[in-house]
Amino acid sequence: MALSAGQPDALREELLVRAPATARRPRHSATLRQEAWLAYGLLTPTLLVIVFLVAYPFASAIYLSLQDKMVGAPGRFVALDNYLDLLRDEVFLRTAWNSVLYTAVAIALKFALGLTMALVLDQERRVNNFFRTLLFVPWAVPVVIVALNWRWIFDDLSGLLNNFLITFHLTSDIISWLSDPRLAMGCVIAVVVWSGTPFYSMTFLAGLQAIPKELYEAAEIDGASVVQQFFFVTVPRLRTIFLTTVMLSTIWTATNLQFVLILTRGGPASRTEIFPHLAYTTALGARRLGMGAAVSLVFFPLLVVLIIVLTRRMLRQADE
Amino acid sequence: MPRTRSGSRRLLKWIGNVLLVLLLVWTLVPFYWMIVTSLKPDREIYGFEATLYPHQPTLAGYARVFTTTPFLKYVRNSAIIAGANTLASLLFGCLGAYALARLRFPGRALIARGLVVSYLVPPALLFIPLFAVLSVLRLIDTHQGLILTYFSFSVPFSTWLLMGYFHSVPLELEEAALVDGCGRLGTLFRIILPMSLPALAVVAFFAFTQSWNEFLYANVFVNSVEVRTITTGLTLFIVEDVFFWGPMMGAAFLSALPPLVVYLIFQRWVVKGLTLGAVKG
Repeated sequence: MALSAGQPDALREELLVRAPATARRPRHSATLRQEAWLAYGLLTPTLLVIVFLVAYPFASAIYLSLQDKMVGAPGRFVALDNYLDLLRDEVFLRTAWNSVLYTAVAIALKFALGLTMALVLDQERRVNNFFRTLLFVPWAVPVVIVALNWRWIFDDLSGLLNNFLITFHLTSDIISWLSDPRLAMGCVIAVVVWSGTPFYSMTFLAGLQAIPKELYEAAEIDGASVVQQFFFVTVPRLRTIFLTTVMLSTIWTATNLQFVLILTRGGPASRTEIFPHLAYTTALGARRLGMGAAVSLVFFPLLVVLIIVLTRRMLRQADE
Repeated sequence: MPRTRSGSRRLLKWIGNVLLVLLLVWTLVPFYWMIVTSLKPDREIYGFEATLYPHQPTLAGYARVFTTTPFLKYVRNSAIIAGANTLASLLFGCLGAYALARLRFPGRALIARGLVVSYLVPPALLFIPLFAVLSVLRLIDTHQGLILTYFSFSVPFSTWLLMGYFHSVPLELEEAALVDGCGRLGTLFRIILPMSLPALAVVAFFAFTQSWNEFLYANVFVNSVEVRTITTGLTLFIVEDVFFWGPMMGAAFLSALPPLVVYLIFQRWVVKGLTLGAVKG
């Protein structure tokens, strides 16, 4: 392990290319050529999808972002004007700050809550499977339904939250959860956390259960306290899972516009506006496709780093 | 006085149980509110007389969903699109994964990389250009258009997941079949697929739920009732800022059922597919 950890990534991918599966057959060039043709034939649908539904649209998003194209009208090439306009736009700058805040806080809370959930479910307990099933249910509910359901919970006059607070005399005023500028972002994040936590707990729990119990026994004999066991046995073993989960979740959280679209539409006064939602309203509300593409691409460089790192990790894991 | 080890164990257990209760409340209360709302008469839903539980439970909300809204049409559309996407993802995934796992050809590593990247590129980046693509193909507002665009997330994922699984199927069985004159595709369908049923189940699960739950593309690429899926249909229960919360929560509950049921059936296998094999064991 120590040896292979030092190998450069390129070498690992070389290993992937020379999969052991095919090594035993004779290297006859005619057979090989036949094999290659068969492979391309089998991969045709997949390749068409990658090229025409991912690669081409992505490239054309970049091209679109350099035009002043509106829906239903031809565009003019404007070079970087869209991007320069964005940098001068106050709503855009607010959106940038919101997006960072929203993503960072939501990820941190999902992580903390997800880890707590996983640790609690890893304890010995009767009917634990049942509790696990219940706690993971939000993951299986469509995001739109989650968002609608919470919008109803936050409702000013008749929602559960105000209803509950007033019934038990915890407040006498009606709280406008989603239209109060100080509360709206917090509410959106709460919903994102509710919906996204099970993904964290699922991966963390799988990691926890893969740790051999002997490690804890050995630590116990060495006199390690429960807290020390957590930091010196559990955390190091889960590090890879922590990283992968957080990176995947960052991509998905930062680019999900459904919560904002249904809960607040970016309001009040752009307090909950985030990039993907701004791109959506620019492209489809204001019908400015070029500008919308520019907005959606502005946050992409950050995601590229995550995508590259994640792709490497996944290829490496497939290799093992 | 220093706490004894068994004492701290018991304390930990207690903290765990308290946390479990809190987490259960946090997780389940929204479901409670959804179901309870769907069972209330209107006067218990709105205003000062709103109640925390239904005093006079009724199914009138559900009756309104079925009689006054195109709910069933939305469900039909979602079923058609999710079903077609599931079948296609399984087929394309199996064929592509077999090639990547068993055949030797130039460009293999590149294609494997392309699969992962495709899976990670977020829809929020693709919906604007895909809108242009579908307009050119005249597939806006059609079932085919949505099925096609859903391939962009389900096919790369299925292929990747199955590739990993096919790698783990022992080669010897297959070689014997090849020697016996069973062709390449014959070995795929007769040897590998029967051994890969759990992986096929996971692929079907993800393809189905992702398509059923998808909102962004369905919202942007479809306008008419005849094609509209359930996720975007639900938001139409809001008419000019007037919410019909009773029927909406009823419809929301019903449309969450298919993914919930398949989740309950497949949950044991689901975790493995979650992070594209990021978690081992």
